[in-house]
Amino acid sequence: MSRRVDILPVLAILVGVLVLGLSAVTLADDGITDKEVTVGAGLDLTGAVANRGVNIKAGMEAVFNRVNEAGGIHGRKIKLVAYDHVYQPPKAVINAKRLVERDKIFVMMGHLGTPTTKAIMDYLGEKHVPNIFPATLASIWTNSGKWHIGDLATFADQTGLIVDYLVKERKFKRIASFYQDDEYGLDGHQAGKARLKHQYDRAYAVEVDYKRADIDFSSQAAKLKESGADAVILQAVYREPPRLAEQCHAIGYHPLFIGVSAIVLDKTIELGGKHVEGMMGVEVYPLPTDPGAFLDLYRADMKKYFPHLALDTTNLYGYQKAALFVEGMQRAGKNLTRDSLLKAIESIKDWDPGWGLKYSYGGDNRRVMSRAARLVSVKDGKWTKASEWMELQETGRK
Amino acid sequence: MVEILTSQVVSGLATGCVYALIALGFVLIFKATDVVNFAQGEFVMASGFISYTLLIRFGLSYWVVLLVTIVVSGVMGVILERVVVRPIMDAPIFSIVIATIGASTVLRSSAGIVYGYDVLPLPTIFSKDPIRMGVLSFTVMDAGVIGSSLVIMMALYLFFTRTKTGMAMRATAQSQTAARLMGVSVKGIFSLTWAISAAIGGVAGVLIAPIIYLDPNLGVIGVKAFAGAILGGFGSIPGAIVGGMLLGILENLSGYFFNAGIKQVSTYILLIVVLVVRPSGLFGAVAVKRV
Repeated sequence: MSRRVDILPVLAILVGVLVLGLSAVTLADDGITDKEVTVGAGLDLTGAVANRGVNIKAGMEAVFNRVNEAGGIHGRKIKLVAYDHVYQPPKAVINAKRLVERDKIFVMMGHLGTPTTKAIMDYLGEKHVPNIFPATLASIWTNSGKWHIGDLATFADQTGLIVDYLVKERKFKRIASFYQDDEYGLDGHQAGKARLKHQYDRAYAVEVDYKRADIDFSSQAAKLKESGADAVILQAVYREPPRLAEQCHAIGYHPLFIGVSAIVLDKTIELGGKHVEGMMGVEVYPLPTDPGAFLDLYRADMKKYFPHLALDTTNLYGYQKAALFVEGMQRAGKNLTRDSLLKAIESIKDWDPGWGLKYSYGGDNRRVMSRAARLVSVKDGKWTKASEWMELQETGRK
Repeated sequence: MVEILTSQVVSGLATGCVYALIALGFVLIFKATDVVNFAQGEFVMASGFISYTLLIRFGLSYWVVLLVTIVVSGVMGVILERVVVRPIMDAPIFSIVIATIGASTVLRSSAGIVYGYDVLPLPTIFSKDPIRMGVLSFTVMDAGVIGSSLVIMMALYLFFTRTKTGMAMRATAQSQTAARLMGVSVKGIFSLTWAISAAIGGVAGVLIAPIIYLDPNLGVIGVKAFAGAILGGFGSIPGAIVGGMLLGILENLSGYFFNAGIKQVSTYILLIVVLVVRPSGLFGAVAVKRV
């Protein structure tokens, strides 16, 4: 009798400990120990947009290196595991599976490219791996549920700004769209179409597409010329705008070229030379040469860790992502989980890293951290600001 | 409208000429040695980087660069033949094909390791300013590319018909045994063929790299040229030239009349149609098998 009384509590405690232990095991997220957090990224390091991939990776690593040298965040160092997806969706899927299942990453961070990130979107959601600040400003990340969160003003929002500028300020009657025929190009293309229709009761003068990694745009140039458009909106990356401008100029056609932030990098100017002079774009964060304590830190970190890389909007793009991520990690505290990290990022409000622009979480239906934008243009071979900062309004794609 | 169409045709012809040059490289090697060299596109890419280095890093003048690039490309062809292809000449044809694919990967990755995967602009002597002649509208660059390609093709024609070495190469292509009996060094001819093919690829590289920018993936243009060679009838030299040119023009026109998607597949649709109607290609010899 007395024996049973002795055993029961012991058994109960044992079972309790076991259950607790098991639940602790199942609850703990992958990719995190007391000493380290493993962060994954899929980037294009050798393909059609390798310039972006290499620079974004460097920008993120510059932040992580500095943070790690200072002892990490709450004692945890950040380890970045990045694979090359060559800007090809099937490869992006293989890489994502490798990162999640073999490397056991805690989060996906700065994944490059709209079509490539869209390809892994459902998979990350299924595995409950947060897709943090993908290096694509498509609007899809802002309204696809809790596992996805964007950082800056979307291509759709940016195109709304471009359309308003062309119609209201420049009083242009005929506006054409030149877009990459995939999830990336369509985001801004369709938003612009909607903006023209609903706001101004108009349509594009002509819609001209191209395929990823195309290299010749003479037929596109001919169609644009025939449409007589005053301005061509570019939903392209850095290789196409200079080549298109060149081919338009070759047939005596000189419209205003204006593109979303993806075209605003020095490579565009290096490739296009005199043909891109006057080209305009949208900036969603300051230029690498602007003043500000955060930009001083960026310049110092880049010089220290990547002295061979020129300061460019692309590495600053990665740098600000990583800085924002680190801020979220700081806020999440010592007891870090995927959920607590997402909550911490969502708690960011009016946070200025030191460059005059503030990050604020946009809400559950608009999961971005900033909606600031301004216009820039190529002047004497340099991207130069052409407007003050403004807060973008919502521009739907429908 | 007419002006835009003619400009489409001329710029398509310029791209087509470059396809034709690369296609020639494929065909010459195939005729002489029965090998399909899948590294042909990488000869184009490599020559782009060679001329970039000479032009930008060493600051040499354009014509010197052109000459040196052609010679270095030729040497590269010989090395590839000696090191990769000749030791396995008796292996099944698939092994040789895989070996050339391997060589192309090695060349591409080497360029990536040395120069990075970034896109680089390459200056050219031909300006991109427009020229107008009646309904014809084109750029100096288009004219330059077409002109240079025609000169190369003419030179090749003269070489094959007027020189002893050229005739020896044709003889080897016809029958290696007979050529050997006539005192032709077949091995020497093999090396020379690879040298010439790579050198033509070199010219193509110098012509195309400034137009479409330079990067280690430039060699994929070889796939299009290969399609051009098949279109013309693989093994036929005029076929390679006409096939390449047709492809360039077709691409431009289909892009103009349809969209980017159709432009991308138009090459292969035409290829399939031609092969269904005429399996040996436009200029290919019809193989007759007597049973």
